[in-house]
This record gives sequence, structure tokens and C-alpha cells, in this order.
Amino acid sequence: MAFLDINHASKAFGEMSAVHDFDLHVEKGELVSFLGPSGCGKTTTLRMVAGFEMPTNGTIVLNGKDITNQSPNERDVGMVFQAYALFPNMTVGDNVGFGLKIAKKTKDEIAQRVQEMLSLIKMPELGDRYPYQLSGGQQQRVALARALAIQPQVLLLDEPLSALDAKIRVELRYEIRRIQQQLRITTIYVTHDQEEALTLSDRVVVMNAGRIEQIGPPFELYNFPTTPFVASFVGTLNQLRCKIMDAAAGRLSLDGQEFRTTSPVVAGRGGDALVMLRPEELHLGSQEGANHLKGIVESVAFLGSVVRIHVKLGSSIVTLDALNERNLKLPKTGESLVVSFPPHGCWVMAGE
Amino acid sequence: MRRFPIWSWVWLLIGLAYFFIPLASTLEFSLRMIKGRYTFEAYRVAFQDPRFYQSFGYSLLWAVLTIIISLLLVVPTAYWVQLKLPKVRPYVEFVTLMPFVVPAVVLTFGLVRTYGHPPLVLTTTPAALIVGYVVLSLPYMYRSVDSGLRAVDIRTLTEAAQSLGAGWGTIMKDVIFPNLRVALLSGVFLTFAIVMGEFTFAALMGWPAFGPYIEEIGAMRAYTPQAVSVMSFLITWGSIMLIQWVGRGGRGEVQISGAR
Amino acid sequence: MAVERFPRADTAPRQDKGDAPSARPPRKPFSWAWVGVAPFFLFAFMFLFLPSVSIFLRSFESLDHTFTFQNILDIFQKSDIRNAYKLSLQISTVTAIGGAFFGFLLAYAVCMGGLPKGARSFLLTFSGVASNFAGVPLAFAFVATMGNAGLVTRIIEGSTGVDIHAGGFTIYNFWGLSIVYMYFQFPLMVLIMAPALDGLRREWREACENLGGGTYHYWRYIAFPILMPTLLGTAILLFGNAFGAYATAYAFTGSFLNLVTIVIGAQIQGDVLYNPGLGNAMALGMIVIMSLCMLVYIWSQRRAARWVR
Repeated sequence: MAFLDINHASKAFGEMSAVHDFDLHVEKGELVSFLGPSGCGKTTTLRMVAGFEMPTNGTIVLNGKDITNQSPNERDVGMVFQAYALFPNMTVGDNVGFGLKIAKKTKDEIAQRVQEMLSLIKMPELGDRYPYQLSGGQQQRVALARALAIQPQVLLLDEPLSALDAKIRVELRYEIRRIQQQLRITTIYVTHDQEEALTLSDRVVVMNAGRIEQIGPPFELYNFPTTPFVASFVGTLNQLRCKIMDAAAGRLSLDGQEFRTTSPVVAGRGGDALVMLRPEELHLGSQEGANHLKGIVESVAFLGSVVRIHVKLGSSIVTLDALNERNLKLPKTGESLVVSFPPHGCWVMAGE
Repeated sequence: MRRFPIWSWVWLLIGLAYFFIPLASTLEFSLRMIKGRYTFEAYRVAFQDPRFYQSFGYSLLWAVLTIIISLLLVVPTAYWVQLKLPKVRPYVEFVTLMPFVVPAVVLTFGLVRTYGHPPLVLTTTPAALIVGYVVLSLPYMYRSVDSGLRAVDIRTLTEAAQSLGAGWGTIMKDVIFPNLRVALLSGVFLTFAIVMGEFTFAALMGWPAFGPYIEEIGAMRAYTPQAVSVMSFLITWGSIMLIQWVGRGGRGEVQISGAR
Repeated sequence: MAVERFPRADTAPRQDKGDAPSARPPRKPFSWAWVGVAPFFLFAFMFLFLPSVSIFLRSFESLDHTFTFQNILDIFQKSDIRNAYKLSLQISTVTAIGGAFFGFLLAYAVCMGGLPKGARSFLLTFSGVASNFAGVPLAFAFVATMGNAGLVTRIIEGSTGVDIHAGGFTIYNFWGLSIVYMYFQFPLMVLIMAPALDGLRREWREACENLGGGTYHYWRYIAFPILMPTLLGTAILLFGNAFGAYATAYAFTGSFLNLVTIVIGAQIQGDVLYNPGLGNAMALGMIVIMSLCMLVYIWSQRRAARWVR
């Protein structure tokens, strides 16, 4: 039994099933992300852990105690909301200390803990400000401090960064991870932004339409996705429909051009194989021991550290990501070139 | 999950009872002109009184005049304040708050004194009365038009129209008025309801409007005043319904008026 | 921009900050805007400002047309004037508090009290109608309800045999009029409180629960403090509403209740005070009180807006 067990939880609203058979075991001190598109059930699941929704089936067990039917104010969890939800009529200090006030701690205890928390979020002098005087990023940090002040066993974050600008989002992302690791607090983080999920998490739970698609560390999800949804949702992905020349030897053909793969070959519908290939596995020019394909440049986009080139191979267009170099010669549209990728760089997935 | 909200129902029912009992009583009372049975006799008597039509007609006429003057005053003002003179806004809003600060009785007092003597004598004509009505309706008319203009971001629309080559006539006709239609109608209906039911200005300045008429027959007769009250209520209710109906689909801003 | 300013000196009397976004040079159309708002201000000047000034000035006019403070003093010294104000203030306070209390409960019941959605729109519509149904017809409606031959009177008599008017009980007094005033007071409260209650975000309640708080904590530390400016402001609005009411009082209790508005009304129709200056002073007193209400109301609105952004 892990620290937090969500055992086969389901939630249905009338006829509609929002979450189905959600089963997850979170270790103490882990940061687990729920990642998925809007409506996939990730927030609903989070709210079940917080107590704002009751599961229709299944149980939730925290540190050995069954909390499935406990009301939210009895649970030992701290929640950070997407819209910060700071109490506008209270100062930052009062907001952070609110949970302690309810728990009837002494004034001194409260003051001390509030100071600790404010230092933790690096805002020690802003205790007397009101929320409307703070920026979005500052408000969210205060919300975090408020949730942590009561020293919960689990920290829940519901898309905490969606309402912020891109730059603040990146900064705050690292802050949250730093604090989480410093306090070693078990955390669940809900997001639809895969970059966030991949950067922050110990493990990621990818969800779709109320169900879990895959659970695993970021590297594993990215490089070894078990379902087509995960493969295409996490990161950019080239999906190529290829003819199988020799399944045992791993030989495939894309519009007449042959290449090899080391992954097991599985036939999809119509006898073709769906080959998955990440853009960064493709390289410009030839390489020893790699597969080579000829194509024509469709478009070139310079993204800064990455140059994204769309190459037409036969009837398919693939995305190729090359790392920027100062003496890189950018290919021109219409130019024909050779792209290469190693045999272990692609894998075959059973079709849809 | 949640307990049955017994107290909510209690308050709601008490509230609804408070609203409906007086209305039901009035209706019931108005039907009892002839002893022993329910009849519309009181209404018949009311409709037979020539002064009923006279006072109703006068109030109707004055309501129309009030609406026209009010629109002419408010719409350009609201428009220019939004578009060109945002600095003037606080002053305009101050003016729209004045009718609350200077209630009808007090305003009548001042008007009679100021315009009851030379050099400018208005009190011998309905002009003074209409002035009072316009003042009464100003806050609602302005608020209505102003929020209507804000809701459609009139500035951006005007600039977009201008950049597409439209002249002021086209802008007024095709951009502004269609979008303001709902707000204008709301203001119009509310002003109508207010003027038709108004008593203070008319009674104190001595004009035979509908309000004083109701009061007069109330002092002299029974049953008929209640019948006319029912009609007055229907006018108010009808006006509010019209406001809701034209405003459907948009943000339902309920218009509020004060004591009279 | 010193270079620019030279040729434009004669066409740009001052910086047109009120103009459209880009810094266009001021041209003729700017003056049309003033023409557009002029009638409005002219009207306000002539028919709001001047009469008010007239009231103010003539408050200091004695019977022999000299300057005097006596009229103002009379308000405090003459017992019947003082009582008129006292009565008006009393009825305003009572109906403001009663209307605020009951109106709040109703608004709460339909917004957050677990009632079906239809109840809310029904109540709001009806409140819109009720708050506009004031004056003479309303007075008669209550006569038909609780008067000698009123429906409720007859129902009580019919079911319990008790004639409530037997012992000289009458509704045409302070409390009766209060009940009539409430008819448009608490709908007004409902109309203003409903949106304010909607403004209480769900997350605040959830955050409170998450931090261990219950219903008591939520209302005591969060919801009421946030709502307080609106509650106070609306109560003041109700107060001013009742204070300035004339038609309803006149039609219901006539001159029986010597409210300030009734006295002023009587003064307009015939110089009952035998002292026009005093009449003006009473009117001035009303303006002062209503202005104070307005100031408190504006302050409360600012306060409320600041927090809920």
C-alpha cells in the first residue's frame, strides 16, 4: 500500500461518466501529474481527492486511512486553485494564516508559521498587502503558501499556472518544484500543458476521456508510449503509414523507399504498419549505419534553439527538428535532401 | 448529500406571499362591487367615467413627451461621453444621482418657487410637470443607454466603421442604433411605467394626470379605485415584461426604480 | 515637442486627453462633442441645480425678507418640525433594516439556498415589478388587504371570529405604513443583493473548506466581510428611498402621519407653516440628509468594487 491510494475510482454525473476506473498509487514525497486535454477527467479526479466530489465507485486511502467519505474540511490535504481563490478581504498574512486560525492555534504560532511560509515563497515583506495589490504570479505563490501552512499530507494543484503569462509560468514552475522537493511533500499536479508535466513530475498520469492511458516517468512516456493517444499527445510525433516488406527482419517501405527498424513489427488495419518517429531522431544528411530517405523541403521554421523542417517524403510530410548551430546552413524550400534516422529511433504501433 | 433546504423554501414562500396577497386582495376587492357575487361592475364603472379617459390620455401624452425629451437629452450625452469626453463622465453621473438626492416633493417645491414667478413662468403649463418627469426618468434612461453602449464597445465599433469608410449618418443608423435598440427600449418602457403611475409632481402642481385621478376616486369611492389599481399594476407589470422580452438573450439587467 | 507646437499653437488651446486613442491633432469635430452634451447640462442646471439653489437661499429668508438662521434653528427647536423629522427618520430606519434583512434572506434563498433555478429568475422578475409598484395603487392594495373590508381581515374574521378592527386597531399608522413601504423595499434589496451574492466565488468556499473551515467560518471571515459594503450601501439606499417617499404615504395615511414629505407637500399646496422660509429649510434639511445617504452609498460601492476584482 502506498502513501496515497486511489483505488478504482469512478465518478459519474447522471448518465455521463467523467472518470472511469482510475487506479493510482502515489508514494510519499512524489510529485505526480495528471496530464490530458480539457474534459479528460483530471480535475474531477483531483477534486475527489480533495473531497469536493464524492466517487461513485472506489475508495481513496491516505496514509492508511480511508478518506473516501470525509468532508473536505476534515481531510488533511491542501489545495491550490487555478483562479488563486485568495480571500480578497484579508491581507496576505491573514490568508496564509487562515487555516491555522481555524485550527485554533495561538497568535504567536500563527505569526511564526506565516513568516516561515512567506520566506519559503520568497515574499517575506508582503504580509500586509491585499490580494488586489499583487500580480497574478504573486497571488499564486501566496495561494501555495496558504495551502502549505497547514502542513497537509498531500498538496493538490489544479492547473495553477494556466492563468499566468508564459514567462511567469516558467519561473513559477521551478519554484513550485523546488518547494515541493524541499518539503518532500506528496503532490498531485493537474495540467493540460505537457511541457509542465514533463518538467516537474516524478511520474505522469496521461488521461483521456475519463480513463488512464498510461502512467510512468516522463522519459518513459515520451520514448515508450503504450498507446497512440499518449504517443501523439506527449510531444510532437511523426506517424508514417508503411508497407511491411519483411516483418521478422524489420524491413519496411515508405512510398518505395526502404528502411529498417529494430522494434517489433505489428500490422495494423489493411496490413500496413504505423511507424512512429520523433522529430529529433531525424537528421539532415547521411549518417553511418542509419536509415536514409530522400525528400523535398516543404517549409523551414526557425524556433530559436530548434530548427523545424517539414520534409515531403513521397506522399507523407515529416517534421524534422535539428538543433541550432551558428554555422548551420538552413535548407531552402523546394530543395531536395537526404534525411537519416537510426533503426532504434522509430517504433511500430498497432493502428487505431 | 445536502439537507433539504427547508429555510430557503420558508423564506421564499413568505416572500411570495407578501408579494401576492396584496395583489390578490386588490383583485378580489375590485370584483365585489355588487354584494353577494363577483362581478366586473367596478371596472365597468371605471371605464364609464370620462375623467378616467381624460386623465389616462393626459398621462399618456405627457409620458410620450417625457420619453422624447429624455431620449434627446440622454442619448447624445451618453454617446459623446463614451466616445470623446470620458472626463465628463463623473459630472454626468453626478447629475443622474441628483434625482435621488432631491426627491420629488423637494424638487416640486423648488420648481414651483423658481418657475412659478417671472421671469420664466412654467408652472402654468404642463412644461413644469414634464420637466419633473424627465428628471425622474433621467437616472434610468442614462444607466440603460450607458450600459448598452458599454456592452457593445461603441468606440471600437465606430472606429471600425470609420476605417471601412462609413460616414456619421451610416454609423448612427447602421451601427449605433441597432445595437442600442434594447437599451433604448428598456429605458422607454421604464419611463412609461414611471410616468403613468406618478402622483407627486402631478398632484402638487395641480395637473389632472392618471395618478391624482386614482387618488381622487380613492377618497370618494370604493371598489372602483381598486379596479383602477389593478389596471395600474398591469401596466407596470406589462412594461417590465416588455423590458425583459426585448432584453432576452442579452445580459438581463433588471431596472430599479425608487419609492414614490 | 517644441518643433510641433509652433504651427499648431492657434488650433490647440489645450491637450485633448479626452480624445480617441492615437494622439491625433485636435480638429473641429472636438467642439461638436461639447455641443452634444450641452443640452443635458443646461437642463440639469436649469431644472435641478437652480431649484436646489433657490431652496438653499430661501431657507435663510425670514418673513420680512431679511437674512436669518432662524428657519434652520426652527427645525431643531420647533417640536412639530422636529417630530416630523424624527418620524421620517424612524420609518426610514425601520423599513431599511427590515427590508435589508428580509431582502437578504430572500436573495440568499434563491441564489445559494438550494432552490431550483427557476425560483431565482421568477423572484428577480417579480422583484423588478414590485419595486416599481409604489405610490397610490400600492396604498389601495393594502387597504384592500388589511383595511376594514380587506381580504385578510375578512379571512381572519371568518376563520377565528375575531374582528381585528374591533378594539380600535387600525393599519393607518406608523407600523401599517411601514408594512406598505416594505413592499418596495425588500425587492430592491433582492435585486441588488442577488448579483452581489453571485459574485461570491465558489472557490472561496472551497478554499475555506480545504483549510478546515465550515459554514460558520466561511460566513464570519469571508462572505459577510466581503458583502458588508454592499449590504450597508443598499441599506442606505433603502433608507433614502423611504425618507423621500410621498405618494405612498399620502395615499395611505394622508396627513395623519406628519412625515417631512407630507409637511412639505402641504406647504406647497397652501402655506400651512405660515412661513415659506421654514418650508425651504425643511426641504433643505431633506437634501442634506439624502446627500449624506448618497455619500455613504458611493463610498460603499467603491469599497465593494475594490475587493472583488
